[in-house]
Amino acid sequence: MAVVALVVSASPLVYLYVRLTEFGVDKVFAQVFRGRSIELLANSILLTVAVSISALIIGSFQAWLTVRTSVRGRTALAISSALPLAMPSYVAAYAFSATSSDFKGFWAAWLVLTIGTAPYVYLAVSAALIRSDSATEEVARSLGYSRWLVFKNVTWPTIRPSAMGGAMLSALYTLSDFGAVSILNFDTFTRAIYNAYRSSFDRSAAASLAGILVLITLLILLVEPRLRGRLTQIDSRVRKNTMISLGKFGPVAGIAASIWSFIGLVIPGSSLISWNLVGLSEVDLSEVLRALTNSVGYSIAGGLITAVFGLAISVLTVRHPSKFSGGIEKTVWLTHAVPGIVVALSLVFISNRLVPWLYQTSALVLVAYLILFIPNAMAAMKTPVSQVPKSMDEVAASLGSSRLDNLRRVLIPIAGPGILTGAALVALSILKELPATLMLRETGMETLATRLWSETSVSAFGAAAPYALILVLVAGIPAWLLNRQVRMSIGTGLSEEQRMERE
Amino acid sequence: MKKKIMRGLKISLAALATIVTVSTMAGCAKETTQTTGNDTITVYSGRAEDLIAPLLEQFTLETGITVEVRYAGSAELAAQILEEGSNVRADVFLSQDAGALGALTEVGAFKKLNADITDLVDAKYRAADNTWVGVSGRSRVLSYNPALVKASQLPKSVFDLADPTWKGRIGIAPSNASFQSFVTAMRVIKGTDATNEWLTAMKSNAVIFEKNGQILDAVENGKISAGLINHYYWYERAAEVGEDKMTSKMTWFEAGDVGNLVNVAGVGVLSEKPEASTFAKWLLGESAQQFFVEKTSEYSLTGLAAKVGLPSLESIQSPAIDLSALAPLAETLELIRSSGLTD
Repeated sequence: MAVVALVVSASPLVYLYVRLTEFGVDKVFAQVFRGRSIELLANSILLTVAVSISALIIGSFQAWLTVRTSVRGRTALAISSALPLAMPSYVAAYAFSATSSDFKGFWAAWLVLTIGTAPYVYLAVSAALIRSDSATEEVARSLGYSRWLVFKNVTWPTIRPSAMGGAMLSALYTLSDFGAVSILNFDTFTRAIYNAYRSSFDRSAAASLAGILVLITLLILLVEPRLRGRLTQIDSRVRKNTMISLGKFGPVAGIAASIWSFIGLVIPGSSLISWNLVGLSEVDLSEVLRALTNSVGYSIAGGLITAVFGLAISVLTVRHPSKFSGGIEKTVWLTHAVPGIVVALSLVFISNRLVPWLYQTSALVLVAYLILFIPNAMAAMKTPVSQVPKSMDEVAASLGSSRLDNLRRVLIPIAGPGILTGAALVALSILKELPATLMLRETGMETLATRLWSETSVSAFGAAAPYALILVLVAGIPAWLLNRQVRMSIGTGLSEEQRMERE
Repeated sequence: MKKKIMRGLKISLAALATIVTVSTMAGCAKETTQTTGNDTITVYSGRAEDLIAPLLEQFTLETGITVEVRYAGSAELAAQILEEGSNVRADVFLSQDAGALGALTEVGAFKKLNADITDLVDAKYRAADNTWVGVSGRSRVLSYNPALVKASQLPKSVFDLADPTWKGRIGIAPSNASFQSFVTAMRVIKGTDATNEWLTAMKSNAVIFEKNGQILDAVENGKISAGLINHYYWYERAAEVGEDKMTSKMTWFEAGDVGNLVNVAGVGVLSEKPEASTFAKWLLGESAQQFFVEKTSEYSLTGLAAKVGLPSLESIQSPAIDLSALAPLAETLELIRSSGLTD
């Protein structure tokens, strides 16, 4: 299965290779090393670094605050930390730019993308914190470590792999984003790629630029394991963790987190609602309903399929680590920074040459989702899968359970929440996806995102607003579920029944 | 080992089968177009759905030919058609601008149109080799506020705007596509140096806007004296506030001036289906041309009278230029950027 996923995921790379060789190496170099390309590349890298670092800090802080401390209103804070995930970055960018005409440039893009991607870190770190045992931290405290030292030497090593995984999603999202940066008028490398299509109709030039993004991703992939640290296998039992009381810092931390949530949710939310007051009258309900059905259908189907393939690769890389399995994992990640339009065009190219009957069917759209979002699924699954003690596998095997049985009865029950998290993350991303859906869908097939696009391409945002609002509300469901899933065991610990089952 | 691979393959196949099943089910929610006849054509439309959907309905009503339509950006659709290779699904490509059509002409994607279609339109507004034809036109104009600019002071040429007397009084939208194709035309006709000089003068004279609509607003309320826009923005605004409430007026430069550039939206045919050609011809017929004049305030390219108050297309005297040549924008974008008008 992992091999099938590999072949599918690598198809955009094949396409890029075909376009690049057709173009000629000298022209590729000329295209890439033009002064402007270098400048844009620098912009992209700067933005990516800034966004991923701030997402890392903010997301980790939110997770720690809501999982480990007794700060007031942490349930509300937890929900508002995850919810920005429901808002497509292009909608958020529109909403923010409506508040002031000066809202553009680097800092605007930084703010919108940090708001949009900090939840990746927040969710991953929350899950890791909940699974880890606070007893070690308490022991360290009792032995005289300061809070900072406890965090640095005890907490950070346990959450580091998850935090880095989240930050990597944030980084690659930022690299591939086109919607937000174009609305906010910050010139990045993806804009150069789109310009190559829009202003020169030059596929090969665009492909050579996309190739650079793949190289950068490769670089990130090579550096990331160093930053990630070692995965810690932990006790699969979850205990009731004691909450840290922050004392007089409590209100300060709470207020800081609330202000951030206010910026991230209330400002774009209020723009959306005020547009809806204008736009609701003009909307055709049956059309909305049809778009909604299609969107939900795509996201559930895509979420499930991608989760299955993601799990296969995760199990393979965790249980059978080798050069080969590591290679598969890296290849799958490679295309994650390539903009959706390039992935879509590569599927147009390949499907028309190999499987023309698949072209412009929903099946191909789902394949595109698999390519685009399998890293999201793996980011959420790998840590939970790796934390299933290998000994349990071995015991099960020695008791005569088959591999598939083993998967069903040992791995899935324990890593289940992580697997669901992965599926929900993918479902969410699919709801928001536009360029690939637009290019590959069946003729006449409309989703919330495509309707949103066609309404904004003609008129003011008013007519599009109902679609945007529904999209955010629908995407809010998996975002909220994700959060609930992650936090289920806090405070109450496991239910009696679950505990019996595990012991 | 072999068994394991087989099982892996089986699971993968099952998953792929699920993809296909689910997607077929999802396909049920697709909008079903009523089939009145057996003839169906697929149109890739770079023009917006709001604009085009009513027109296509009318076409189906009049001819009995059903239209399946995919909407996306003109440039994206052009790229998609190029990547489809020999398996092109579109019978007709309807583009927002001549550039995307030119790009497809270049690789030989279009079928040559029959003379009964191309003869309807002036040679200026179609491909030299008759592979595409314009269906509606829009003109660049100078919008001005009569309270701030006397008729005698109106510039004869767009190059007059480089004069220091215009400092802080003229609005442009350098990141807008229609401004960019106008600059391309200037580059093609007057050369890079002259264009660069004009852009540099604009850097010191012009007030920069994002959109044509904002320029018009500023001219209306007297913040600037004049601005370079497309003609139909005046009508869009007039439709909102009422023509009698409009303060600004439109004017054209002297005959042949590049500031009068007329660009077109057009159509090309990709398949041998006779219905595809029927569609292209229908777009140049009475009902479609009337639609463009009334609904989008564009110019008819077959000689239908323009909107009341708009000078006729022939009287504008747009510069002589091959519109396909406006496709490669890269050099223009560099020029605009290096002059400091965009960042």
